[in-house]
Amino acid sequence: MSEVEEIIKVKNFYKKFGEKVVHKGVNLSIRKGEILTLMGGSGSGKSVLLRSMIGLEKPDKGQILFHGEDVVPLDEDSLVGVRNRIAYAFQHGALFDSLTVKENLAYPLRAHTEMSEKEIHEKVMQTLAMVGLEGSEYLLPADLSGGMQKRVGVARSIIMDPEVILYDEPTTGLDPFNTRQILRIIRMLQGKGATSVLVTHDMTSLFAVSDRIAFLKDGKIIAMDTVDKIRKSTDPAVRGFIHGETD
Amino acid sequence: MPKEKAIDFLILTKTRSLDSLFRGVDFLGGAANLLYASCRVLFRPPFHFGLFVDQCYSIGVKSFSIVFITALSIGFVMSIQFGYGLERFGGKIYVPRVVGLSIMRELGPVMTCLMLAGRVGSGIAAELGSMSVTQQIDAIRALGTDPLKRLVIPRLLALLLMCPLLTVMADLIGIMGGMVLSQFELNLNADYYFHQSIMVMAPHDFLVGVAKTLVFAIIIGVTSCYYGLQTKGGTQGVGQSTTHAVVTSSILITIFDFVLTKLFLLMEVT
Repeated sequence: MSEVEEIIKVKNFYKKFGEKVVHKGVNLSIRKGEILTLMGGSGSGKSVLLRSMIGLEKPDKGQILFHGEDVVPLDEDSLVGVRNRIAYAFQHGALFDSLTVKENLAYPLRAHTEMSEKEIHEKVMQTLAMVGLEGSEYLLPADLSGGMQKRVGVARSIIMDPEVILYDEPTTGLDPFNTRQILRIIRMLQGKGATSVLVTHDMTSLFAVSDRIAFLKDGKIIAMDTVDKIRKSTDPAVRGFIHGETD
Repeated sequence: MPKEKAIDFLILTKTRSLDSLFRGVDFLGGAANLLYASCRVLFRPPFHFGLFVDQCYSIGVKSFSIVFITALSIGFVMSIQFGYGLERFGGKIYVPRVVGLSIMRELGPVMTCLMLAGRVGSGIAAELGSMSVTQQIDAIRALGTDPLKRLVIPRLLALLLMCPLLTVMADLIGIMGGMVLSQFELNLNADYYFHQSIMVMAPHDFLVGVAKTLVFAIIIGVTSCYYGLQTKGGTQGVGQSTTHAVVTSSILITIFDFVLTKLFLLMEVT
Protein backbone atom coordinates (compact mmCIF):
# COMPACT_ATOMS: atom_id res chain seq x y z
CA MET A 1 0.00 0.00 0.00
CA SER A 2 1.45 3.38 -1.03
CA GLU A 3 2.05 5.88 1.74
CA VAL A 4 -0.36 8.85 1.75
CA GLU A 5 1.37 12.22 1.42
CA GLU A 6 0.80 14.52 4.38
CA ILE A 7 0.50 18.07 3.08
CA ILE A 8 0.11 19.82 6.46
CA LYS A 9 1.31 18.50 9.78
CA VAL A 10 0.60 20.19 13.12
CA LYS A 11 3.00 19.08 15.85
CA ASN A 12 2.71 19.75 19.56
CA PHE A 13 0.69 22.97 19.10
CA TYR A 14 0.22 25.12 22.22
CA LYS A 15 -1.69 28.38 22.40
CA LYS A 16 -3.11 30.44 25.20
CA PHE A 17 -4.94 33.77 25.35
CA GLY A 18 -4.24 35.53 28.61
CA GLU A 19 -4.73 32.92 31.30
CA LYS A 20 -6.91 30.67 29.14
CA VAL A 21 -5.00 27.76 27.62
CA VAL A 22 -6.76 26.86 24.36
CA HIS A 23 -4.43 24.29 22.84
CA LYS A 24 -2.41 21.85 24.94
CA GLY A 25 -0.29 20.00 22.42
CA VAL A 26 -2.41 19.46 19.32
CA ASN A 27 -1.10 16.94 16.79
CA LEU A 28 -2.79 16.69 13.41
CA SER A 29 -1.96 15.45 9.93
CA ILE A 30 -3.79 16.53 6.80
CA ARG A 31 -3.45 14.32 3.76
CA LYS A 32 -3.12 15.59 0.22
CA GLY A 33 -6.45 15.72 -1.60
CA GLU A 34 -8.68 14.94 1.38
CA ILE A 35 -11.46 16.92 3.00
CA LEU A 36 -10.79 17.05 6.72
CA THR A 37 -13.24 18.62 9.12
CA LEU A 38 -12.23 20.04 12.49
CA MET A 39 -15.09 19.71 14.90
CA GLY A 40 -15.44 20.77 18.51
CA GLY A 41 -17.40 22.98 20.84
CA SER A 42 -17.45 26.76 20.72
CA GLY A 43 -14.19 28.20 22.04
CA SER A 44 -12.30 24.94 21.57
CA GLY A 45 -9.81 26.69 19.30
CA LYS A 46 -10.73 25.29 15.88
CA SER A 47 -10.58 28.64 14.10
CA VAL A 48 -7.34 29.61 15.86
CA LEU A 49 -5.77 26.36 14.65
CA LEU A 50 -7.02 27.06 11.12
CA ARG A 51 -5.74 30.65 11.18
CA SER A 52 -2.36 29.45 12.44
CA MET A 53 -1.94 27.27 9.36
CA ILE A 54 -1.40 30.40 7.22
CA GLY A 55 0.34 32.42 9.90
CA LEU A 56 -2.58 34.69 10.86
CA GLU A 57 -1.94 33.52 14.43
CA LYS A 58 1.29 32.30 15.99
CA PRO A 59 1.33 29.42 18.45
CA ASP A 60 3.14 29.79 21.75
CA LYS A 61 4.88 26.51 21.05
CA GLY A 62 4.84 23.86 18.34
CA GLN A 63 5.25 23.44 14.61
CA ILE A 64 3.02 23.63 11.56
CA LEU A 65 4.70 21.93 8.65
CA PHE A 66 3.54 22.65 5.10
CA HIS A 67 5.29 20.31 2.69
CA GLY A 68 7.79 19.73 5.49
CA GLU A 69 8.57 23.46 6.02
CA ASP A 70 7.68 24.99 9.37
CA VAL A 71 5.52 28.09 8.77
CA VAL A 72 5.54 29.22 12.42
CA PRO A 73 8.89 31.09 12.38
CA LEU A 74 8.20 32.72 8.99
CA ASP A 75 7.72 36.50 8.91
CA GLU A 76 4.99 38.22 6.89
CA ASP A 77 7.18 38.51 3.77
CA SER A 78 8.16 34.85 3.85
CA LEU A 79 4.54 33.83 4.42
CA VAL A 80 3.46 35.27 1.06
CA GLY A 81 4.59 32.12 -0.74
CA VAL A 82 2.66 29.94 1.71
CA ARG A 83 -0.46 32.12 1.46
CA ASN A 84 -0.45 31.82 -2.33
CA ARG A 85 -0.66 28.03 -1.92
CA ILE A 86 -2.97 27.84 1.10
CA ALA A 87 -6.17 29.86 0.76
CA TYR A 88 -8.46 30.91 3.59
CA ALA A 89 -12.22 31.32 3.19
CA PHE A 90 -13.46 33.54 6.02
CA GLN A 91 -16.63 32.86 7.95
CA HIS A 92 -18.44 35.96 6.70
CA GLY A 93 -16.56 36.31 3.43
CA ALA A 94 -14.39 39.24 4.61
CA LEU A 95 -14.93 40.91 1.25
CA PHE A 96 -13.45 44.37 0.76
CA ASP A 97 -16.60 46.43 1.02
CA SER A 98 -15.33 49.35 -1.04
CA LEU A 99 -14.58 47.08 -4.02
CA THR A 100 -16.98 45.38 -6.42
CA VAL A 101 -17.21 41.61 -6.63
CA LYS A 102 -14.96 41.68 -9.69
CA GLU A 103 -12.38 43.88 -7.96
CA ASN A 104 -12.44 41.58 -4.92
CA LEU A 105 -11.69 38.56 -7.08
CA ALA A 106 -9.12 40.42 -9.15
CA TYR A 107 -7.27 41.55 -6.00
CA PRO A 108 -4.96 38.52 -5.56
CA LEU A 109 -4.42 38.20 -9.31
CA ARG A 110 -3.26 41.82 -9.54
CA ALA A 111 -1.07 41.42 -6.47
CA HIS A 112 0.69 38.20 -7.44
CA THR A 113 0.48 37.66 -11.19
CA GLU A 114 1.49 39.46 -14.36
CA MET A 115 -1.87 38.75 -16.00
CA SER A 116 -3.32 41.35 -18.36
CA GLU A 117 -6.64 43.01 -17.53
CA LYS A 118 -8.30 40.86 -20.20
CA GLU A 119 -6.92 37.66 -18.68
CA ILE A 120 -7.94 38.83 -15.21
CA HIS A 121 -11.46 39.53 -16.43
CA GLU A 122 -11.72 36.07 -17.99
CA LYS A 123 -10.39 34.35 -14.86
CA VAL A 124 -12.80 36.31 -12.65
CA MET A 125 -15.79 35.41 -14.84
CA GLN A 126 -14.72 31.77 -14.95
CA THR A 127 -14.38 31.61 -11.15
CA LEU A 128 -17.70 33.37 -10.59
CA ALA A 129 -19.34 30.81 -12.87
CA MET A 130 -17.82 28.04 -10.73
CA VAL A 131 -19.59 29.38 -7.65
CA GLY A 132 -22.81 30.08 -9.56
CA LEU A 133 -22.63 33.87 -9.37
CA GLU A 134 -22.47 34.92 -13.00
CA GLY A 135 -23.74 38.45 -13.54
CA SER A 136 -22.83 39.72 -10.09
CA GLU A 137 -19.39 41.04 -10.99
CA TYR A 138 -20.28 44.73 -10.75
CA LEU A 139 -22.22 44.49 -7.49
CA LEU A 140 -20.79 45.70 -4.20
CA PRO A 141 -20.62 43.27 -1.24
CA ALA A 142 -23.40 45.27 0.47
CA ASP A 143 -25.71 44.37 -2.43
CA LEU A 144 -25.22 40.62 -1.87
CA SER A 145 -26.99 38.25 0.51
CA GLY A 146 -24.97 36.51 3.24
CA GLY A 147 -24.84 33.30 1.23
CA MET A 148 -23.70 35.11 -1.90
CA GLN A 149 -21.01 36.92 0.09
CA LYS A 150 -19.70 33.61 1.37
CA ARG A 151 -19.62 32.21 -2.16
CA VAL A 152 -17.75 35.29 -3.42
CA GLY A 153 -15.35 34.85 -0.48
CA VAL A 154 -14.77 31.25 -1.52
CA ALA A 155 -14.34 32.35 -5.15
CA ARG A 156 -11.71 34.91 -4.10
CA SER A 157 -9.83 32.31 -2.07
CA ILE A 158 -9.74 29.75 -4.90
CA ILE A 159 -8.96 32.11 -7.78
CA MET A 160 -5.21 31.55 -7.40
CA ASP A 161 -5.73 27.75 -7.70
CA PRO A 162 -4.35 26.97 -4.22
CA GLU A 163 -3.28 23.51 -3.10
CA VAL A 164 -5.10 23.78 0.22
CA ILE A 165 -8.27 25.69 1.10
CA LEU A 166 -9.15 26.39 4.72
CA TYR A 167 -12.85 27.04 5.29
CA ASP A 168 -13.99 28.73 8.50
CA GLU A 169 -17.66 27.83 9.11
CA PRO A 170 -18.46 27.70 5.38
CA THR A 171 -22.14 26.77 5.72
CA THR A 172 -23.10 28.25 9.09
CA GLY A 173 -26.21 30.41 8.83
CA LEU A 174 -26.88 29.57 5.20
CA ASP A 175 -30.13 28.40 3.66
CA PRO A 176 -30.22 24.86 2.16
CA PHE A 177 -29.65 26.16 -1.37
CA ASN A 178 -26.50 28.12 -0.49
CA THR A 179 -25.29 25.27 1.75
CA ARG A 180 -25.58 22.83 -1.18
CA GLN A 181 -23.78 25.31 -3.43
CA ILE A 182 -20.85 25.62 -1.01
CA LEU A 183 -20.62 21.85 -0.50
CA ARG A 184 -20.73 21.35 -4.28
CA ILE A 185 -17.81 23.79 -4.67
CA ILE A 186 -15.78 21.99 -1.97
CA ARG A 187 -16.36 18.64 -3.66
CA MET A 188 -15.61 20.07 -7.09
CA LEU A 189 -12.31 21.49 -5.88
CA GLN A 190 -11.40 18.15 -4.36
CA GLY A 191 -12.02 16.68 -7.80
CA LYS A 192 -9.39 19.09 -9.11
CA GLY A 193 -6.89 17.87 -6.53
CA ALA A 194 -7.30 20.51 -3.82
CA THR A 195 -7.05 19.65 -0.14
CA SER A 196 -9.72 21.15 2.11
CA VAL A 197 -9.83 21.75 5.84
CA LEU A 198 -13.19 22.75 7.28
CA VAL A 199 -14.22 24.11 10.62
CA THR A 200 -17.93 23.67 11.15
CA HIS A 201 -20.73 22.98 13.60
CA ASP A 202 -23.07 21.99 10.81
CA MET A 203 -23.43 18.21 11.25
CA THR A 204 -25.29 17.63 7.98
CA SER A 205 -22.60 19.36 5.94
CA LEU A 206 -19.86 17.75 7.96
CA PHE A 207 -21.04 14.22 7.23
CA ALA A 208 -21.98 15.02 3.64
CA VAL A 209 -18.63 16.29 2.54
CA SER A 210 -15.83 15.10 4.86
CA ASP A 211 -13.39 12.27 4.26
CA ARG A 212 -12.09 12.44 7.82
CA ILE A 213 -13.11 14.24 10.98
CA ALA A 214 -10.90 15.46 13.81
CA PHE A 215 -12.54 16.22 17.16
CA LEU A 216 -10.94 18.93 19.29
CA LYS A 217 -11.67 18.97 23.00
CA ASP A 218 -9.86 20.31 26.06
CA GLY A 219 -7.03 21.62 23.89
CA LYS A 220 -6.28 18.31 22.18
CA ILE A 221 -7.46 16.18 19.28
CA ILE A 222 -9.26 13.39 21.11
CA ALA A 223 -10.55 11.57 18.03
CA MET A 224 -9.58 11.57 14.36
CA ASP A 225 -10.97 9.08 11.88
CA THR A 226 -13.16 8.52 8.85
CA VAL A 227 -16.74 9.77 8.91
CA ASP A 228 -18.20 6.30 9.48
CA LYS A 229 -15.90 5.52 12.37
CA ILE A 230 -16.50 8.88 14.02
CA ARG A 231 -20.24 8.40 13.58
CA LYS A 232 -19.98 5.06 15.37
CA SER A 233 -17.56 6.34 18.01
CA THR A 234 -18.22 5.22 21.56
CA ASP A 235 -16.33 8.18 23.03
CA PRO A 236 -18.89 10.02 25.20
CA ALA A 237 -17.61 13.47 24.17
CA VAL A 238 -17.83 12.67 20.46
CA ARG A 239 -21.24 11.01 20.80
CA GLY A 240 -22.46 13.90 22.90
CA PHE A 241 -21.40 16.40 20.25
CA ILE A 242 -22.73 14.48 17.25
CA HIS A 243 -25.95 13.16 18.67
CA GLY A 244 -26.59 15.93 21.16
CA GLU A 245 -26.42 13.44 24.02
CA THR A 246 -25.72 14.76 27.49
CA ASP A 247 -23.51 12.99 30.03
CA MET B 1 -18.37 52.73 56.50
CA PRO B 2 -17.27 56.10 55.06
CA LYS B 3 -13.65 55.09 55.75
CA GLU B 4 -14.12 51.79 53.88
CA LYS B 5 -15.75 53.62 50.98
CA ALA B 6 -12.88 56.08 50.87
CA ILE B 7 -10.39 53.21 50.77
CA ASP B 8 -12.38 51.51 47.98
CA PHE B 9 -12.43 54.78 46.08
CA LEU B 10 -8.67 55.20 46.47
CA ILE B 11 -8.02 51.64 45.31
CA LEU B 12 -10.31 52.14 42.31
CA THR B 13 -8.67 55.44 41.42
CA LYS B 14 -5.22 53.90 41.72
CA THR B 15 -6.20 50.92 39.54
CA ARG B 16 -7.72 53.18 36.89
CA SER B 17 -4.67 55.46 36.91
CA LEU B 18 -2.39 52.46 36.49
CA ASP B 19 -4.59 51.15 33.67
CA SER B 20 -4.41 54.52 31.92
CA LEU B 21 -0.65 54.59 32.37
CA PHE B 22 -0.26 51.09 30.93
CA ARG B 23 -2.55 51.98 28.02
CA GLY B 24 -0.47 55.10 27.37
CA VAL B 25 2.78 53.13 27.38
CA ASP B 26 1.14 50.48 25.20
CA PHE B 27 0.08 53.15 22.70
CA LEU B 28 3.51 54.79 22.58
CA GLY B 29 5.21 51.44 22.00
CA GLY B 30 2.67 50.33 19.41
CA ALA B 31 2.64 53.63 17.54
CA ALA B 32 6.46 53.77 17.46
CA ASN B 33 6.49 50.20 16.18
CA LEU B 34 3.94 51.04 13.47
CA LEU B 35 5.96 54.08 12.38
CA TYR B 36 9.18 52.05 12.27
CA ALA B 37 7.51 49.23 10.30
CA SER B 38 6.00 51.77 7.88
CA CYS B 39 9.39 53.39 7.29
CA ARG B 40 10.88 49.96 6.61
CA VAL B 41 8.39 49.10 3.86
CA LEU B 42 8.08 52.63 2.46
CA PHE B 43 10.59 52.21 -0.36
CA ARG B 44 9.88 48.55 -1.03
CA PRO B 45 7.71 47.71 -4.08
CA PRO B 46 4.87 47.43 -4.93
CA PHE B 47 3.96 51.12 -4.81
CA HIS B 48 0.24 51.82 -4.72
CA PHE B 49 0.19 55.23 -6.39
CA GLY B 50 -3.54 55.00 -7.11
CA LEU B 51 -4.34 54.48 -3.43
CA PHE B 52 -2.11 57.46 -2.55
CA VAL B 53 -4.00 59.69 -5.02
CA ASP B 54 -7.35 58.48 -3.62
CA GLN B 55 -6.21 59.38 -0.12
CA CYS B 56 -4.93 62.81 -1.25
CA TYR B 57 -8.42 63.48 -2.60
CA SER B 58 -10.14 62.12 0.51
CA ILE B 59 -7.84 63.89 2.98
CA GLY B 60 -6.99 67.06 1.08
CA VAL B 61 -9.78 68.03 -1.29
CA LYS B 62 -12.61 66.90 0.96
CA SER B 63 -11.14 68.79 3.94
CA PHE B 64 -10.97 72.05 2.02
CA SER B 65 -14.31 73.45 3.20
CA ILE B 66 -13.75 72.73 6.91
CA VAL B 67 -10.25 74.26 6.79
CA PHE B 68 -11.55 77.25 4.83
CA ILE B 69 -14.29 78.03 7.37
CA THR B 70 -11.95 77.54 10.34
CA ALA B 71 -9.22 79.74 8.89
CA LEU B 72 -11.64 82.48 7.93
CA SER B 73 -13.21 82.49 11.40
CA ILE B 74 -9.79 82.65 13.04
CA GLY B 75 -8.79 85.58 10.83
CA PHE B 76 -12.01 87.42 11.74
CA VAL B 77 -11.78 86.70 15.46
CA MET B 78 -8.08 87.53 15.75
CA SER B 79 -8.52 90.84 13.96
CA ILE B 80 -11.53 91.89 15.98
CA GLN B 81 -10.00 90.88 19.32
CA PHE B 82 -6.60 92.46 18.69
CA GLY B 83 -8.24 95.45 17.04
CA TYR B 84 -10.36 96.39 20.04
CA GLY B 85 -7.71 95.22 22.52
CA LEU B 86 -4.83 97.19 21.02
CA GLU B 87 -6.99 100.24 20.35
CA ARG B 88 -7.01 100.92 24.10
CA PHE B 89 -3.25 101.44 23.95
CA GLY B 90 -3.25 103.18 20.60
CA GLY B 91 -1.77 100.13 18.92
CA LYS B 92 -4.46 99.34 16.34
CA ILE B 93 -1.98 99.81 13.52
CA TYR B 94 -0.11 96.71 14.73
CA VAL B 95 -3.08 94.43 14.11
CA PRO B 96 -1.88 93.22 10.67
CA ARG B 97 1.54 92.27 12.04
CA VAL B 98 0.23 90.50 15.13
CA VAL B 99 -2.52 88.64 13.30
CA GLY B 100 -0.29 87.68 10.39
CA LEU B 101 2.50 86.33 12.61
CA SER B 102 0.09 84.51 14.93
CA ILE B 103 -1.65 82.78 12.06
CA MET B 104 1.49 81.93 10.12
CA ARG B 105 3.53 80.59 13.03
CA GLU B 106 0.90 79.16 15.32
CA LEU B 107 -2.80 79.21 14.61
CA GLY B 108 -2.69 78.19 10.94
CA PRO B 109 -0.75 74.94 11.47
CA VAL B 110 -2.33 74.01 14.80
CA MET B 111 -5.97 74.74 13.96
CA THR B 112 -5.69 73.13 10.52
CA CYS B 113 -4.17 69.98 11.94
CA LEU B 114 -6.63 69.84 14.84
CA MET B 115 -9.44 70.01 12.29
CA LEU B 116 -7.76 67.26 10.27
CA ALA B 117 -7.28 65.16 13.40
CA GLY B 118 -11.04 65.39 13.90
CA ARG B 119 -12.19 64.88 10.34
CA VAL B 120 -9.46 62.71 8.82
CA GLY B 121 -8.22 60.95 11.98
CA SER B 122 -11.71 59.79 12.92
CA GLY B 123 -12.34 58.69 9.34
CA ILE B 124 -9.14 56.64 9.17
CA ALA B 125 -9.68 55.02 12.58
CA ALA B 126 -13.30 54.18 11.78
CA GLU B 127 -12.50 52.81 8.34
CA LEU B 128 -9.57 50.65 9.47
CA GLY B 129 -11.49 49.67 12.61
CA SER B 130 -14.45 48.46 10.57
CA MET B 131 -12.08 46.55 8.30
CA SER B 132 -10.46 45.02 11.36
CA VAL B 133 -13.67 43.78 12.97
CA THR B 134 -15.00 42.40 9.68
CA GLN B 135 -11.73 40.49 9.13
CA GLN B 136 -10.83 42.51 6.02
CA ILE B 137 -7.36 43.22 7.44
CA ASP B 138 -6.90 39.48 7.97
CA ALA B 139 -8.12 38.94 4.41
CA ILE B 140 -5.45 41.34 3.09
CA ARG B 141 -2.82 39.29 4.94
CA ALA B 142 -4.34 35.95 3.97
CA LEU B 143 -4.22 37.01 0.30
CA GLY B 144 -0.45 37.49 0.65
CA THR B 145 -0.49 41.29 0.69
CA ASP B 146 0.65 43.80 3.30
CA PRO B 147 -1.89 45.95 5.19
CA LEU B 148 0.88 48.46 5.91
CA LYS B 149 1.59 49.02 2.23
CA ARG B 150 -2.06 49.11 1.19
CA LEU B 151 -3.63 50.96 4.10
CA VAL B 152 -1.08 52.78 6.24
CA ILE B 153 1.53 54.08 3.78
CA PRO B 154 -0.91 55.77 1.34
CA ARG B 155 -2.66 57.53 4.25
CA LEU B 156 0.59 58.63 5.90
CA LEU B 157 2.04 59.99 2.65
CA ALA B 158 -1.20 61.75 1.74
CA LEU B 159 -1.25 63.40 5.18
CA LEU B 160 2.41 64.44 4.81
CA LEU B 161 1.55 66.13 1.52
CA MET B 162 -1.86 67.54 2.37
CA CYS B 163 -1.26 68.91 5.88
CA PRO B 164 1.32 71.49 4.73
CA LEU B 165 -0.71 72.39 1.63
CA LEU B 166 -3.91 72.90 3.61
CA THR B 167 -1.98 74.88 6.21
CA VAL B 168 -0.54 77.24 3.60
CA MET B 169 -4.06 77.70 2.28
CA ALA B 170 -5.38 78.29 5.81
CA ASP B 171 -2.62 80.88 6.45
CA LEU B 172 -3.61 82.84 3.37
CA ILE B 173 -7.34 82.62 4.08
CA GLY B 174 -6.82 83.60 7.72
CA ILE B 175 -4.76 86.66 6.78
CA MET B 176 -7.26 87.61 4.08
CA GLY B 177 -10.11 87.19 6.56
CA GLY B 178 -8.32 89.48 9.01
CA MET B 179 -7.75 91.98 6.24
CA VAL B 180 -11.40 92.05 5.16
CA LEU B 181 -12.63 92.43 8.74
CA SER B 182 -10.09 95.15 9.54
CA GLN B 183 -11.22 97.13 6.50
CA PHE B 184 -14.86 97.19 7.62
CA GLU B 185 -14.63 97.00 11.42
CA LEU B 186 -11.34 98.72 12.27
CA ASN B 187 -11.11 101.11 9.33
CA LEU B 188 -7.67 99.80 8.41
CA ASN B 189 -6.95 100.14 4.71
CA ALA B 190 -6.66 96.73 2.97
CA ASP B 191 -3.54 97.81 1.09
CA TYR B 192 -1.88 98.93 4.34
CA TYR B 193 -2.96 95.72 6.07
CA PHE B 194 -1.54 93.53 3.30
CA HIS B 195 1.82 95.30 3.18
CA GLN B 196 2.17 95.34 6.96
CA SER B 197 1.43 91.60 7.11
CA ILE B 198 3.97 90.80 4.43
CA MET B 199 6.62 93.16 5.79
CA VAL B 200 6.77 91.61 9.23
CA MET B 201 7.09 88.04 8.04
CA ALA B 202 10.43 86.39 7.46
CA PRO B 203 10.87 83.13 5.49
CA HIS B 204 11.55 81.21 8.68
CA ASP B 205 8.12 82.20 10.07
CA PHE B 206 6.55 80.39 7.15
CA LEU B 207 8.96 77.44 7.37
CA VAL B 208 8.39 76.99 11.11
CA GLY B 209 4.64 76.67 10.50
CA VAL B 210 5.08 74.22 7.65
CA ALA B 211 7.66 72.16 9.54
CA LYS B 212 5.22 71.77 12.43
CA THR B 213 2.56 70.38 10.10
CA LEU B 214 4.86 67.57 8.97
CA VAL B 215 5.17 66.38 12.57
CA PHE B 216 1.41 66.82 13.10
CA ALA B 217 0.72 64.81 9.93
CA ILE B 218 2.75 61.90 11.29
CA ILE B 219 0.94 62.17 14.62
CA ILE B 220 -2.51 62.08 12.97
CA GLY B 221 -1.60 59.29 10.56
CA VAL B 222 0.18 56.98 13.00
CA THR B 223 -2.31 57.51 15.84
CA SER B 224 -5.42 56.94 13.74
CA CYS B 225 -3.94 53.97 11.85
CA TYR B 226 -2.72 52.43 15.13
CA TYR B 227 -6.12 52.67 16.82
CA GLY B 228 -7.90 51.53 13.65
CA LEU B 229 -5.73 48.44 13.23
CA GLN B 230 -5.99 47.59 16.94
CA THR B 231 -9.79 47.65 16.92
CA LYS B 232 -11.56 44.72 18.55
CA GLY B 233 -15.08 44.06 19.72
CA GLY B 234 -17.45 45.02 16.93
CA THR B 235 -19.18 48.36 16.47
CA GLN B 236 -18.52 49.45 20.06
CA GLY B 237 -14.82 48.84 19.47
CA VAL B 238 -14.92 50.95 16.30
CA GLY B 239 -16.50 53.82 18.25
CA GLN B 240 -13.89 53.58 21.00
CA SER B 241 -11.01 53.48 18.51
CA THR B 242 -12.35 56.54 16.73
CA THR B 243 -12.66 58.48 19.97
CA HIS B 244 -9.19 57.42 21.14
CA ALA B 245 -7.67 58.37 17.78
CA VAL B 246 -9.13 61.88 17.80
CA VAL B 247 -8.47 62.59 21.48
CA THR B 248 -4.92 61.19 21.46
CA SER B 249 -3.85 62.93 18.26
CA SER B 250 -5.37 66.25 19.40
CA ILE B 251 -3.53 66.06 22.73
CA LEU B 252 -0.28 65.08 21.03
CA ILE B 253 -0.62 67.94 18.55
CA THR B 254 -0.95 70.49 21.35
CA ILE B 255 1.95 68.98 23.31
CA PHE B 256 4.22 68.77 20.28
CA ASP B 257 3.21 72.29 19.27
CA PHE B 258 4.69 73.59 22.51
CA VAL B 259 7.81 71.43 22.18
CA LEU B 260 8.38 72.44 18.55
CA THR B 261 7.71 76.11 19.23
CA LYS B 262 10.30 76.09 22.00
CA LEU B 263 12.75 74.16 19.83
CA PHE B 264 12.36 76.47 16.82
CA LEU B 265 12.71 79.58 19.01
CA LEU B 266 15.93 78.19 20.46
CA MET B 267 17.20 77.49 16.95
CA GLU B 268 16.27 81.00 15.80
CA VAL B 269 18.04 82.60 18.78
CA THR B 270 21.21 80.59 18.23
